[in-house]
Amino acid sequence: MRFSPAHALAQGLTPFMRMGRKYGLEWWILVFGALIILAIVVMAMFPGFFAPFSPYDQNTGPQLAPPGDPHLMGTDNLQRDVWSRIVYGSQTILRVAVLAAVISSFTGIILGLISGFWGGLLDRTLSLVMDSLYVFPGLILAIAFAAMFGPGVINITLAVAVIYIPTYFRLVRGQTLSIKEELYVEAAKAIGASSSTILWKYIFPNVIATTVVVFTLNVADAIMIEAALTYLGLGLPPSIVDWGMDLAMGKKFLPSGQWWLITFPGAMISLLALGFTMLGEGLAEILNPRLLER
Amino acid sequence: MKISRLFLFCTVVAVLACLPAQSVAKETLVYGTTEKVIDLDPANAYDFHTWEIFYNIYQGLLRYPPGETNLIPGLAESYDISADGKEYTFKLREGLKFTDGTPFDANAVKWSIDRVMTLKGDPSWLVTDFVDHVDVVDIHAVKFVLKNPVAYFPSLVASVPYYPVNPNIYPKDKIIRDPSELKGGKLVGLGPYEVVSFKRDQEIIMDANSNFYGEKPKNDRVVIRYFADATTMRLAIEKGEVDFVFKTLNPSDIKDLEKSDKVQTIKAQGPYIRYLCFVCDSPPFKDKVLRQAVAAAVNRPPLLDKVFLGQNAPLYSMVPMGMWSHIDAFKDAFGDGNITKSKELLASRGYNENNKFEFELWYTPSHYGDTEVDLAAVLKDQLEATGVMKVTVKSAEWATYRDNWKNKVMPTFLLGWYPDYIDPDNYTAAFAGTAGSKGLGIYFSDPEWDAKLLEGQTTPDMGKRTEIYEEIQRMWADEVPTATIFQGTLFLFAKTDIRGILLSPTLQFNYGPIHRAK
Amino acid sequence: MRNLTRYIITRILLTIPMVLILLSILFVVLRLMPGDPVSSMLGGHAPEKVIEQKKEELGLNRPMVIQYLDYLWQVCRLDFGESMVLKQRVTTAIGEKLPATIELTFFGLVITLFLGVFMGAYAADHRRQTRDSAIRLYGIVVYCIPVYWMGLMLQLIFGIWLDLLPIAGRTGPRVFASLFEKTGFYVLDTILVKDFSALGDVLVHLTLPAFTLGLVLSGIFVRLTRANMLDVLRSDYIIAAEARGIRHRRIVYKHALKNAFIPVLTMMGLQVALLMAGAVLTETTFSWPGMGRLLLERIYLRDYPTIQGTIIVFALIVATVSLIVDIIYAIIDPRIRY
Repeated sequence: MRFSPAHALAQGLTPFMRMGRKYGLEWWILVFGALIILAIVVMAMFPGFFAPFSPYDQNTGPQLAPPGDPHLMGTDNLQRDVWSRIVYGSQTILRVAVLAAVISSFTGIILGLISGFWGGLLDRTLSLVMDSLYVFPGLILAIAFAAMFGPGVINITLAVAVIYIPTYFRLVRGQTLSIKEELYVEAAKAIGASSSTILWKYIFPNVIATTVVVFTLNVADAIMIEAALTYLGLGLPPSIVDWGMDLAMGKKFLPSGQWWLITFPGAMISLLALGFTMLGEGLAEILNPRLLER
Repeated sequence: MKISRLFLFCTVVAVLACLPAQSVAKETLVYGTTEKVIDLDPANAYDFHTWEIFYNIYQGLLRYPPGETNLIPGLAESYDISADGKEYTFKLREGLKFTDGTPFDANAVKWSIDRVMTLKGDPSWLVTDFVDHVDVVDIHAVKFVLKNPVAYFPSLVASVPYYPVNPNIYPKDKIIRDPSELKGGKLVGLGPYEVVSFKRDQEIIMDANSNFYGEKPKNDRVVIRYFADATTMRLAIEKGEVDFVFKTLNPSDIKDLEKSDKVQTIKAQGPYIRYLCFVCDSPPFKDKVLRQAVAAAVNRPPLLDKVFLGQNAPLYSMVPMGMWSHIDAFKDAFGDGNITKSKELLASRGYNENNKFEFELWYTPSHYGDTEVDLAAVLKDQLEATGVMKVTVKSAEWATYRDNWKNKVMPTFLLGWYPDYIDPDNYTAAFAGTAGSKGLGIYFSDPEWDAKLLEGQTTPDMGKRTEIYEEIQRMWADEVPTATIFQGTLFLFAKTDIRGILLSPTLQFNYGPIHRAK
Repeated sequence: MRNLTRYIITRILLTIPMVLILLSILFVVLRLMPGDPVSSMLGGHAPEKVIEQKKEELGLNRPMVIQYLDYLWQVCRLDFGESMVLKQRVTTAIGEKLPATIELTFFGLVITLFLGVFMGAYAADHRRQTRDSAIRLYGIVVYCIPVYWMGLMLQLIFGIWLDLLPIAGRTGPRVFASLFEKTGFYVLDTILVKDFSALGDVLVHLTLPAFTLGLVLSGIFVRLTRANMLDVLRSDYIIAAEARGIRHRRIVYKHALKNAFIPVLTMMGLQVALLMAGAVLTETTFSWPGMGRLLLERIYLRDYPTIQGTIIVFALIVATVSLIVDIIYAIIDPRIRY
């Protein structure tokens, strides 16, 4: 059989098209989101390949140069290359957001499982605490935590992580409660399965599916919160390259017409958050056929 | 249907916005600033903006004429000094009254000083460190008895904590924040202006005081409009919405406004200095050679270009330029960006490319404006350009920063200084005298220095004092308890038809002479 | 009816422990913050003795439990103490800034609802067409745009390039608020004093910030409205109306929307939190003198009482609004009961 690139491409694309026809817009949203994330993750993993300069280099060119050759996105007032700072900045934001989401989910899921499964006083107290935190504006809580912990990558990650624990908790607890009542769990109990077996073999796997969607949307939110905290000057020391901070630094050049200092970092934050949101939305639609009735 | 309603709404709003503002009968000048007023009380005000307001609504016994640095009589016509230099007797102007009729006399002066000493506000040390007590000699003569003879006492008397206040309206036992707390609700002083209304962080409206004994202001009303950020203020002056703006614009805004022909630029050398402090009694900077190495590597002109677009002046001594006795001590000793010398000094302590001298450099991100981040970043770059230093930049908000320097957490840190009174003593003793140095986290102590500083404080002869301070500056470039970086330039921008603005190194800014050209 | 009363009482009672927990978490968080507020308050030249004395005065040396109980008692009385840094009663500071935030969030909410609801209804009406997809995409995209970036971009375009609108503050430099301020709600105040040019100025200053806030949150309402509208449009009475020959536009925007709107309105309870968060960021970008800016300023100064007071007020507002909204929802929808 002849092997041509066009043929291979068509072969490769067919499953995509099939899914597209089946699920419509949602599928393409998911794919698009995944592509954005992939692009930025690749950029974060191989910054040296994409960035012509070091993000700290204070002699890359003229001060406050507009976008052009060789500075794709111009230079800032310390003569650093904006594009290089964008490339390296992706590492920071991805690191913080993903790690925060992981910590959040881990803590939230475990607490939710335990609380939902065992019930009683523990459940009631924990639920109350989590509900109180859930209603409260996340950003303001994050600001308080960030101010308390002080600047630093670990600190800001923790500040962002804490806000989402209630989300996972509520979701997992709710699911645990309903699954607990299911017939097959009753049956397992009847044949003498231990609590931990029930928890891990029956409840946990069922909970995971929905958590994946929440996780993706969580990362999107964490990205927004991380950028907001650093924009407000609360998150990171300036030796770390960060999009939110570059945005805050570039703000004062607004009336002087040096628009590239704020346009690009902000656009990247939006893009990355959008990528994860699209992925999450797409996944939600696809994993949950009920919702397709729209 | 909804769209047309929306359109109608927008039109109405646009029309309203274009209506002419309420007519202003008086000549009103609108002055924009990003500074803030903290306490409108001479006993507690310790920031330059509030002092500036007081220069205009109050008067001191002595004062500086607008734009100049020599003292002239204010509320006091003259003064005598006793032979031992510890007693100053001031003869007060007669017939002056506060706007509510309270007479101004020696009792008012004594009452005010006693109040400052009792309330122990932030600037009270300017009184309590020097004045032992005040005597009323007669109704128009008051005597200050000092703890020690101090050559620059007259310049202290010209500072705000010494301003007499109206004993009938100020509460003796507490500090007031705004005029509403005064009896009668109005801030009446003896100065060219009186406060008509005050809304914190928004505006303060001052009208010319018809009872002022001296030269009447050339305008009827000055409104200080407080801006929350420099960008909006820059746009306001560009569009002509305010008459003049002062403190503090971003370097990029200053650069654009200087070039603009819609505004006039008024520049003056400020008395504000910035420098690096070292903790001198603990490693690593206990070793003066290392301090010298850091000072040598600092390259001021390119730093100022990058961070301030060249708008401030390089400073080579703690005593600022424009003050008598100033010499370019650091320039003579090290020059700028002297990488060779720096490497040499570090090598003598065993540091090289493979064994770098590592230390932390601290700064505070908002207290000195948001250029501070850049300042620290550039300094780091310059120090590391020697190839033999590795600098970790750290920051802390002001409250933590002060804590830190008390606890010796920061081996070297950036700091700034506005003078309390115009004298080289204020720029030196506070940093290198044993007592002062500890308070600022520098912990420098040398009995030879203390003796020299005391000599400078107490010697009455100007010539001799100049020599002493020159010597101190040379010693400074050797011991380097602090390494100076730059001296601030004051920028004021005004509409092209505004006249009479005089900036002074004393930071005293009088609104009286300002007027609109016809 | 008994059920409803029980629900309301239960709901109110539930609010108390929730607020209590938030307050406690807050207490712990603030006490653990680094930086000594007392020395910053007293100025550079204060000797150790004076600092200790001040700490004693403020009760910072008492055992934590006592401080905690005292703190709770204070909150009940809505007495947040005095600012450590600026010798001002915290309630005064909050009272000055709260109206600004409320005014901003109010107009932001108006714009959000306006945009979100109409776009959502329009999308539901044109289901599965490109317009629908575009609007749904808008709903997702707009939420991912950071509020402050949107603000900066709008400032750049409308404030600087086109020079049409002001980019900061509540009033222009020559409009003196102290001359008309009464309630703190400038739109109201200027109308009361009949200073209409000032009213125009105030409205013009509200435009960009309210729009920024409104735009970013409209995405959520687009989706909510659309989902609710789709349900409503399928119900019997709508089909009956169509059969009767009533104009399609009228059906959608008058009858259907009214019914879809109510659940959307009640959803607003949850969105208050987002609105507050958005307000904090919007205020920083537009130098709006509200609670958000107050919070940030005081965090830098380590002004515990004011920080505490501000966050508590935020918590109380969120708790109250969600309480009210839940009760309204319960009144309307008999299915929701405990």
